[in-house]
Amino acid sequence: MKPHSNAAWALMLPAAAVMVFVAVLPLLAVLNYSFHDIFSLDKVFWVGTDWYEMIVATPRFWASLGRSALFSTLAISVQIPLGIAIALMLRKVGPRGASLMLMCLAIPLVVPTNMIAGLWLALLRPEGLGGQALSALHLTLDYKFTALHTWALILIVDTWHWLGLVVVLAYAGLSSIQPAYYQAAAVDSATRWAVFRWIELPQISGALWIVLLLRLVDSFMIYTEVMAINAGGPNDATTFLSLELGEDIKAYSYGTSAARAMVDFIFVLTLVWVFVKLRQSGEQTQGGPP
Amino acid sequence: MTRGRMWRLLACIGIAGFVLLPLVQAIVLSFTTTLATEAVPQGSIGLHNYANILRSPELRASIGNSIIYVLLNVAFCLIAGLPAAYGLARFTFLGDRHFLMFLLAFRVTPPVVLSLPIFILFARSGLVNSPIGIALVHCVFNLPIAIWILESFIAAIPRSFDEMAFVDGHSRLSFFFRFLIPAIAPGIAVAAFFCFIFSWVEVVFARILTVTAGKPITQAITSLFTFRTDWGLVMAMTVFSLIPGVLMIFLVRNQIARGFVIRT
Repeated sequence: MKPHSNAAWALMLPAAAVMVFVAVLPLLAVLNYSFHDIFSLDKVFWVGTDWYEMIVATPRFWASLGRSALFSTLAISVQIPLGIAIALMLRKVGPRGASLMLMCLAIPLVVPTNMIAGLWLALLRPEGLGGQALSALHLTLDYKFTALHTWALILIVDTWHWLGLVVVLAYAGLSSIQPAYYQAAAVDSATRWAVFRWIELPQISGALWIVLLLRLVDSFMIYTEVMAINAGGPNDATTFLSLELGEDIKAYSYGTSAARAMVDFIFVLTLVWVFVKLRQSGEQTQGGPP
Repeated sequence: MTRGRMWRLLACIGIAGFVLLPLVQAIVLSFTTTLATEAVPQGSIGLHNYANILRSPELRASIGNSIIYVLLNVAFCLIAGLPAAYGLARFTFLGDRHFLMFLLAFRVTPPVVLSLPIFILFARSGLVNSPIGIALVHCVFNLPIAIWILESFIAAIPRSFDEMAFVDGHSRLSFFFRFLIPAIAPGIAVAAFFCFIFSWVEVVFARILTVTAGKPITQAITSLFTFRTDWGLVMAMTVFSLIPGVLMIFLVRNQIARGFVIRT
């Protein structure tokens, strides 16, 4: 049991000071702007909750919210199972091969965010390797004008970007399982599914929670890649919450963009809160981590 | 070769192909001249694009700018993160869980939400166009990560390790530098790796905080997109921007996944 000491707050001070300056103060400023109409920084009028009412009353906002939620769901339901499956497979290919594959899968994580889409668009140009392969197969990827293709491309690009994180963390969790667990399972002649459900999944859940949370919020607020691929088109089919917010900011409408930012922040915060509660109740039913 | 092994080999080739294909395309393009000049015809293969990077003062400067603010950010995160991680790993205190929850909430705050007031606040504090400004603002998402990683590495060391050093008459400060930091060196490497990567690839804050000077490498790439984009040069710059990250992956390949456990 750790000793109780409120003096430990002194150790939090440097971190807390940095976070107050770069996060809390700006957030309070956003909150303040969201109740004002701002023509310029010295012409500011109190408008109360007008902006919020306006946002909630526009169908476009709800459509964007729905698209963001759908995209998040799709991204997570593709990337998490695929990442776990790859990690399970890599456990069998031997340490050297696995290490090579993990390094390879981690490379997309270090690509500057604004070039993720650029790399794929270069690949898919008619004279690019991907474009040539597609035309040789008589396939077309019309991501500029066919909404389904745009969605597919964004999902592929996002999966390419983040799959490595899921695999790396799941693989690390699997590596920490004692061989004795597998031997015990073999003695009980447990099925492959039972081994996964009762031995492997609990061991990787610690690392998976963080990757699930990061993927949840990052895919919910995806911006840079979507903007580069088709700027929310065709016909708003890929206009997510963050793109609507970006439009407001680019139009210099401080008040509305601040209110929109607050609404988005509240959604993200609610997601995190639900997530933490789910996790805590999950731990209680499973006895919790050591 | 058994059937299982063959399937696994095929799967590995497939995955590696999917991951590497855009990168192979980028590397091929980076050696190809895509915008003809008088001296170099279109489609010729060579180092022209890389030579053009070195010839352009803006592109050269952008590489330096990025390296400076990323290293500063790693330093800030470790300096502020180490004491906090130690406190969280070793003590309970009033509001400790709330503090962790507070960190989590800001780790997941989308940068776009904070971009406008951060610009105004930093402009007033004279931190626009300065690497210190970007390094500070990247702490919003990197400091929580650094604290989580360091905390899990410190918590893995038994408390008797601290007590032995105190019994030997070491002060807390001397313990910190002479015992704790060497003991959690792999954790520091992992925390530094993630801070480095997330700061290196971030674009939203880095863009709004560099109005006239101090442009990072990501901005330099964006500014290359014009009416007639020189794809070869863009890809050469992109390949260039991958080098530090790939080197880091190679250096921490054995530690990369340890200690990435979230506590709330």
